[in-house]
Amino acid sequence: MSSIILEARDVHYRYPRGMEAICGISFHIRKGEKIALVGPNGAGKSTLLKMFNGMIRPDSGLMLFDNQPIGYDTASLRMLRKRVGFVLQNPDRQIIAPTVYQDVAFGPTNLGYSEPEVKEAVTKALRHVGLEGFERRPPHQLSGGEKKRVAIAGVLSMDPDMLVLDEPTSGLDPSGSEDIMELLDELNQEGKTIIISTHNVELAYPWADRAMLMLGGTILEEDIPEVAFGNPEYVRKAHLSLPTLLELHSELQKRGFNFEGKKPRTVLDMMQCIETIVRNTRSPVRPGTITICNVDKANQQDVSGWFSLRPKVTVGAMGTRAKQHAENCRIKLDFTYGVIDKCILKALLGEDTLIMTTTSMVKRVTQRVDAYCQESGIRITVNHVVTIPEPANKEGGDLP
Amino acid sequence: MFEELLEDIAQKNGLREVNTYLKLVAGLGAILLCLASMSYLPPLFIALILTGAILLLAHVEVKTYAELFIVPLWFAIMSVAGIILISGGQEVFWSWDIMPGFALSITRESINEGVLVFCRIIGGMSAMIFIALTTPMTDLFIVFRQCRVPEVVIDLMMIIYRTIFILMDQVIQVYQAQVMRLGYSTWRESLYSFASLCGAVFIASWDAGEDLIRAMDARCYDGKFALLGENRPIERIPCIALGIFLLLAAAVVIVAGSTTIL
Repeated sequence: MSSIILEARDVHYRYPRGMEAICGISFHIRKGEKIALVGPNGAGKSTLLKMFNGMIRPDSGLMLFDNQPIGYDTASLRMLRKRVGFVLQNPDRQIIAPTVYQDVAFGPTNLGYSEPEVKEAVTKALRHVGLEGFERRPPHQLSGGEKKRVAIAGVLSMDPDMLVLDEPTSGLDPSGSEDIMELLDELNQEGKTIIISTHNVELAYPWADRAMLMLGGTILEEDIPEVAFGNPEYVRKAHLSLPTLLELHSELQKRGFNFEGKKPRTVLDMMQCIETIVRNTRSPVRPGTITICNVDKANQQDVSGWFSLRPKVTVGAMGTRAKQHAENCRIKLDFTYGVIDKCILKALLGEDTLIMTTTSMVKRVTQRVDAYCQESGIRITVNHVVTIPEPANKEGGDLP
Repeated sequence: MFEELLEDIAQKNGLREVNTYLKLVAGLGAILLCLASMSYLPPLFIALILTGAILLLAHVEVKTYAELFIVPLWFAIMSVAGIILISGGQEVFWSWDIMPGFALSITRESINEGVLVFCRIIGGMSAMIFIALTTPMTDLFIVFRQCRVPEVVIDLMMIIYRTIFILMDQVIQVYQAQVMRLGYSTWRESLYSFASLCGAVFIASWDAGEDLIRAMDARCYDGKFALLGENRPIERIPCIALGIFLLLAAAVVIVAGSTTIL
């Protein structure tokens, strides 16, 4: 198990002339975890998040970052804020500069990077969030989702170890929300610890490694999502709703279906549960294959042959860069979020699928498919073949 | 909302990628030539060329450009009418003695002067609009820095620029919320609504200011506002075009001398 990166010990905080917002909270977060802080309005989520980068100093109790108590002098706070990136709920409040480039460059400039270093950091951050070419645009012309990405890029350019996001999906449309969650997944895959606060149970439930239910300045429950959201009483107390899958699962269980294994977190898990029950009554289909295309390496061969052999292949793309690549190649995408699970579902129906993704996510795909195969005993073949033709203007990566 | 409109057009105009200095020299040079001209013809010539550049090169819509032009044109017409009536001259066409020692008159000289001023206004305005529509503020900041304007001033300008749009949004939202609930139905009501609009926006700007500091602190603010991007390179064709334009305009100024309309 990885080491602890953030810890709170009996933290209290009271707003000036207000009620107590945080009443004795203790928890710890490990490196590389994805944490969802869930609770109703006024539960103290935002207040707690602001303690993570020293914006709010607790009245009593101790906050530790990397096993060191957080210092509140200017120098320590700078160090802390470099390592803990904070994304505010309202991107308009977070974006301060008149152009995207300047805003993303704000952090690195103030960290004293040289001009070429700043430029590199900005390019990298914008590439990460899929906003290349937006450098000179003024933020007020961007859409809500794009603004959110600029805000995230502004923090990413400082290369923090931990990202704290207050309501990252508020005000975004469903597909925009999924995009942001996927971006967070990608960042997590690169080793960053990610903490979000949200009301959106459906979004947090499959995403998080651990969920913390907050109510009235305390932590009601802190566990893996299946358990944290699985207790109807706590969920009701915290003014939340049960995730649909969990509710379905428990309703089916009440009707005498015996499910083995853990509770479902995704539609795929649910299908697995149901398949195990009805397997005997159905003739098994030979599962289809999943092919992974790494767009970072896609620069040599022609894939049109591959596509012409499989005219009806279903294509999904993970990550903004992969989606852009697909767009540049005029490849129609069937799935843009929840791609791995949806492709496994397709494979179970005996259909072949192609996943376009970037280097950092390739491992994730194989891991997920392997895990599924192990659990279900069904063998799905994963190929790593295809390369996609270069788009006219070269946008794919130059990674080895 | 008009500021936003202008800035938006400038952000997307066809001459966006041309070096900022070239555009500024074109605009400012045109203004100086208009002022230097003693004849009414050169400003009209400059206005014609710049209008062509705005419409054909920068791809600004005719309607937008006309709207921009018409508002100040009314001021120009009124002040020129004043000049024609008040300033005197030798060859009187028409006069009216209102009271002893004060008379309104139209003379050959006053008409000539009025027309000259009017044409200068048109030329100068087209140059101003040319700069406004082709050079967004964000590019001007770079020029300011290269011209050694103090950092504090530029930082303040950038923050103000960004904040204008946020406050503008706020104003529009509050205003619409008021209109939807009939906030401006009567004169009395309008007064109340306008006052509360101002109050709401003041509070909002206060909040925004605090959030700004927080947002800057969260990203290790150390007295340095973001670096600016780079200016576009000076390319040959725009450079030659600018040279031709200025030379041609200067030639017209010299040739026209002090030709008058009457």
